[in-house]
Amino acid sequence: MDLLRRDVVLLLLLAMPASAQEVRVLPLGEAECVELSARLARNARAWRDPARGLAAEGRRLCRDGYFRAGVAKLRRAVRATQGGADTARP
Amino acid sequence: MPHSRLRRQHPGPVWRLFSSAGFRFAALFAAVFLLAALAFGSVLWWGTAGALERQTDAAIRADVHALTDRWRDGGAPSVAEAIEERLAVDAEGQTLYLLQDADGARQAGNLAELPRRDGNSAWHSVTLSHEDGPPGEGRLMVVELPDGGRLGVGREVGEKQQLRDLLTEGLAWATGAALVCAIIGAWLMRRALERRLAAASGTAAQIAGGDLSPRVPLSPHDDEFDRLGASMNTMLDRIAQLMDGVRGVSDAIAHDLRHPIARARNGLEEALLDEANDPAALRSAIERGITDLDNVSRVFQAVLRIAEVEHGARRAAFAPLDLALLLADAAELYGASAEAHGQVLETEWPESLPLVGDRDLLLQVLANLLDNAVKFSPPGAVIRVSAAQEEDAVLVRVADQGPGLSVPDRARVGERFFRADAARTTPGSGLGLSLVRAVVQMHGGALWFADAGGPPDHPGLAVLLRLPVSAGTEKPAA
Repeated sequence: MDLLRRDVVLLLLLAMPASAQEVRVLPLGEAECVELSARLARNARAWRDPARGLAAEGRRLCRDGYFRAGVAKLRRAVRATQGGADTARP
Repeated sequence: MPHSRLRRQHPGPVWRLFSSAGFRFAALFAAVFLLAALAFGSVLWWGTAGALERQTDAAIRADVHALTDRWRDGGAPSVAEAIEERLAVDAEGQTLYLLQDADGARQAGNLAELPRRDGNSAWHSVTLSHEDGPPGEGRLMVVELPDGGRLGVGREVGEKQQLRDLLTEGLAWATGAALVCAIIGAWLMRRALERRLAAASGTAAQIAGGDLSPRVPLSPHDDEFDRLGASMNTMLDRIAQLMDGVRGVSDAIAHDLRHPIARARNGLEEALLDEANDPAALRSAIERGITDLDNVSRVFQAVLRIAEVEHGARRAAFAPLDLALLLADAAELYGASAEAHGQVLETEWPESLPLVGDRDLLLQVLANLLDNAVKFSPPGAVIRVSAAQEEDAVLVRVADQGPGLSVPDRARVGERFFRADAARTTPGSGLGLSLVRAVVQMHGGALWFADAGGPPDHPGLAVLLRLPVSAGTEKPAA
């Protein structure tokens, strides 16, 4: 099984372009939390559930330093204000 | 000229394996099987992992077009705002954006930099490094903006990559299984071929060893191998029949020539030892000896002539002729002979019967048939010779009122030296009808026999021969 996995990885490496460059993704931080919170504040629909609950939880996570999780919640809140059905996941 | 090719000798068992037809068929089977598995895998890949990649690329391309349109409408700030809007709703963090100005400074987006320019291709597969997580895979499309800036749009494809890995692993397992199946199938196929051919090759080996009696055993499947075996058996039967014929001819020659040669020798020896030393008796003995030896010579000539005809050596003598004239000549010749035997020769044919053939041989045929008819018919019998023009052939019929021929004898009557039981007491060599059959075959005609319509105990024999108008246009059937 391990041998096969190694073969598969080798096959994939061969199939991939030889020069796969590395690109850095910027980390999510307080700036994103602030920017998303401001975006929600400008939107009247953000005062209604489920956007309100998601936004509150996102802000709390950001305050606690969990920026990645906090940004994800805030983004779900933004999506909810736009009529998205993304309310199932807390 | 030998019909067997010299077989090249090769040293090792590996070459023998590769030169084996069974191995080649098996390899072909394995190759076709693997090709089918490969085609199946390719279609599966194209329909799943390939579809996901195409879907991702389509979404990125659409996004790029939307943003470049936005750039044309509102410039870089408008694009930056659109990027922020898009990122604001990307809860899963799958989207990748970067807008740079002409100096390479970041205007918007979540990437620190864009990949280096790589030829003319706008597409890049990149490794994404996250400060707070493991690296991932990304797909990026980078376009140059009219103001010299660059816009990169992409998606994280890590999950799709995992799915692709799973699919690849599955396909690798499936390919392995297909390979094993192909090898097992090829091995089974080779073994089945060898088994089916073993009977034929074993029989051939026995025959090559000098025993002509074995035959290829046939299975009830009636498949290609059985048909090959049946053909081999038919061929072997024919060879055995021909060899029996050759042996029979040799025996017949020895038997038929022994008597006249022994008689000539005894007559000459007797005359030599005759104490009376009578010149007239000596002369008479020599003349009898010459007559006997002439008979021997005639038999040899007849055998040689049949062989010559059977080999088609006289085909060059073919020319247009009128068979009616030949019939008239033969009837004139044998009319007197029939009359001398107290028989009546009745004839009936049209005024002209044109065809292409060898005049001398056809006259010989008619003479042989009439000679037999006269020889085997009793005094007072009527011998009928008739001929008729058909569409592409001439049909000749010579009927006598002799004892006739049994059906089994009719099948053998063309064999050299064959004589029916009823003809044993009649003079003859058993070569006349052999020559007739050979000549008819050379002309592409057919020869067959029938009862002449007499009483059951004495039906008579009708010899019928059909000669094509243009020799060789009909298939020989006699």
